[in-house]
Amino acid sequence: MFKITVINQISQLIMKKNLTYILLIPIILLFYACITDTDINQAENITLKPVIELDLIYFTVKANRFYDAVTQNQILTVSDSTEIRFLDDTDVQEALKRVDFYFKFTNSIPRSFIAEFVFVNELNEITYQTQTNVEQGTLGTPIVTEFTEIVEGDAILQLTQANKVIVKVTIPSSDETLEGSLNLQSKATYYVEY
Amino acid sequence: MCLFQVVVAVAQNKQLAYGFREIPQSLMLNPSEKVTTKFHFGIPFLSQFHLNGGSTGVTVYDIFGNSSVEINTRIANKLSELKNTDFFTATQQLELIQFGWRSKQELYFSGGIYQEFDFIAYFPKDLAELAWYGNKDNINKIYDLGEVSTRADLLTVFHFGANKQLTKKLTVGARAKIYSSMASVNSTSNSGNFTTTLGDGANNIYEHRLTNVDMTVQTSGLASLYDLKNASDITKKMIGRAFLGGNLGVGMDLGFTYDITNKLTATGSILDLGVIFHLKDVETYKATGNYTLNGIELIFPPLDEAGIPYYDDLENEIEKEIIVDTITRSYSNWRPLKVNGAISYSFGKTVSGVDDCDCRSRGSKIDRNQSVGFQVFNIFRPKSPQLAGTVFYYRRFGKLLSAKATYTVDSYSFSNLGLAMVLDLGPINFYVAGDNILNYSNLAKTKSVSLQLGFNIKINQK
Repeated sequence: MFKITVINQISQLIMKKNLTYILLIPIILLFYACITDTDINQAENITLKPVIELDLIYFTVKANRFYDAVTQNQILTVSDSTEIRFLDDTDVQEALKRVDFYFKFTNSIPRSFIAEFVFVNELNEITYQTQTNVEQGTLGTPIVTEFTEIVEGDAILQLTQANKVIVKVTIPSSDETLEGSLNLQSKATYYVEY
Repeated sequence: MCLFQVVVAVAQNKQLAYGFREIPQSLMLNPSEKVTTKFHFGIPFLSQFHLNGGSTGVTVYDIFGNSSVEINTRIANKLSELKNTDFFTATQQLELIQFGWRSKQELYFSGGIYQEFDFIAYFPKDLAELAWYGNKDNINKIYDLGEVSTRADLLTVFHFGANKQLTKKLTVGARAKIYSSMASVNSTSNSGNFTTTLGDGANNIYEHRLTNVDMTVQTSGLASLYDLKNASDITKKMIGRAFLGGNLGVGMDLGFTYDITNKLTATGSILDLGVIFHLKDVETYKATGNYTLNGIELIFPPLDEAGIPYYDDLENEIEKEIIVDTITRSYSNWRPLKVNGAISYSFGKTVSGVDDCDCRSRGSKIDRNQSVGFQVFNIFRPKSPQLAGTVFYYRRFGKLLSAKATYTVDSYSFSNLGLAMVLDLGPINFYVAGDNILNYSNLAKTKSVSLQLGFNIKINQK
């Protein structure tokens, strides 16, 4: 009974006002509302390429560190090391495309130096290394030596195997009268893609 | 790719259903709605399905549309356009039960249960730029961590209300609500900033500085889920919480309908004036402090000294200066308060069935088959109220069909046209309402979309 009433009502309505198309609108809206001219697969091409500037290491070594006053011997090489544990992180290994190391030496010791940066892995095996000469300065006129090392391509794969850097500073000769200090400031620019 | 796959979620403005009394769910938008039925109940789980999603600054098409411009360039362009007040929202509601009846005292009682998911995230522009570009070209830029503002709630609402015509002109309604929160995340009061500046020469090349960091994420209902391995355990737990086993809250809706003349009506409502008390399964994560990073200072100790753990020391120092706490203290959250208001003017033929002599409402306003009017909607969101204005045209076509068309101006766009239709096939009531219909041919181009539909059984007043 109810069914017949409904059908009657609908047919009356359709006959009276020809509203079929109105009834269809919501259905059309529901099932045919589509996304066109759009390609979600492009999401695969989205690449974040941040370039991150970050301080690295810094130090000041005084001239007397190169001479042992007790034994009266020269100490020609001093070294120190620190872990840089983020470097061999799997995500970093995948994302890091290039690193620009920047080292700025300010030398007021009247000697030149060789500064070495040795990157080693957990087994203390060398994975990457670089070095530079630092010009000699004077107490009154410290000399600035800048050194930039760009690491990319295959070398970056070697670099990101390391989780520790050893810094070695070598002086050609020293004595107890040597004065001044060697200062290093450094930063790295990380070019990341993920 | 069609509608149900693409609509994500949002704004809670139901401009189409508001004041549309042929839809019983209009009572949920204004408890004083003068429904004409004697009795109604929603078909369980089918009486109301509501989905709403939007973003104020960007559309899917802006990013993924077919274009000769490379996708990463398009993202970069959008990044510079978007502001930190732009937001993404999603709201979904599913009514489980809905019923109502008119008592002998001419009170219309209604009640039910619905489930709701509500999400909003403001665009953290500074952090997005930092992630996209890095800090290289932005030395000295102050990155504002306070831009992080997001909130998500999954809850069930148990409600019961009544309305009554107090005088010829005035009808009032109220609804009490009990909220049962299944899960909630809230991070809306954050502050602090991050800068990279050139050092003063004393230490290293730069100074990376975190200043006045005070970041908080409140969660409830999540910590206990981490330990659950399989989906069925999580489902069981969530269902328990849905039915009053969650963190509970109380709230109310209030509304009025005032017939200024027999053609002019003013209505208003406030919804979800309420609070949820998060007492159980609460974890709040808080980070506070200041820290300046200069890199690692090497001190070249004499050879016989063991290696100094510079990196561990650095980590410890950061942990000491930027303290991250996990707090299990309970907290409470206000529900997002919603306010509706409308003025409508009715005209046209009187509606047969409700009759020229409207005996039920004792000679007050006469129902007519057309009306026009203006509506306002406001929802209080974490950063600012989200306002919308709507003009509408309502028309009833006989007993079977009624429709409402709306034009809405809101945070998303100035071109939102909506259409709602109600079919009353005997006692069966079906309604569907969708907005932004101009964009239905390509939903990717729309900034927001809202859809509401459902089935009810209505027994009319006679």
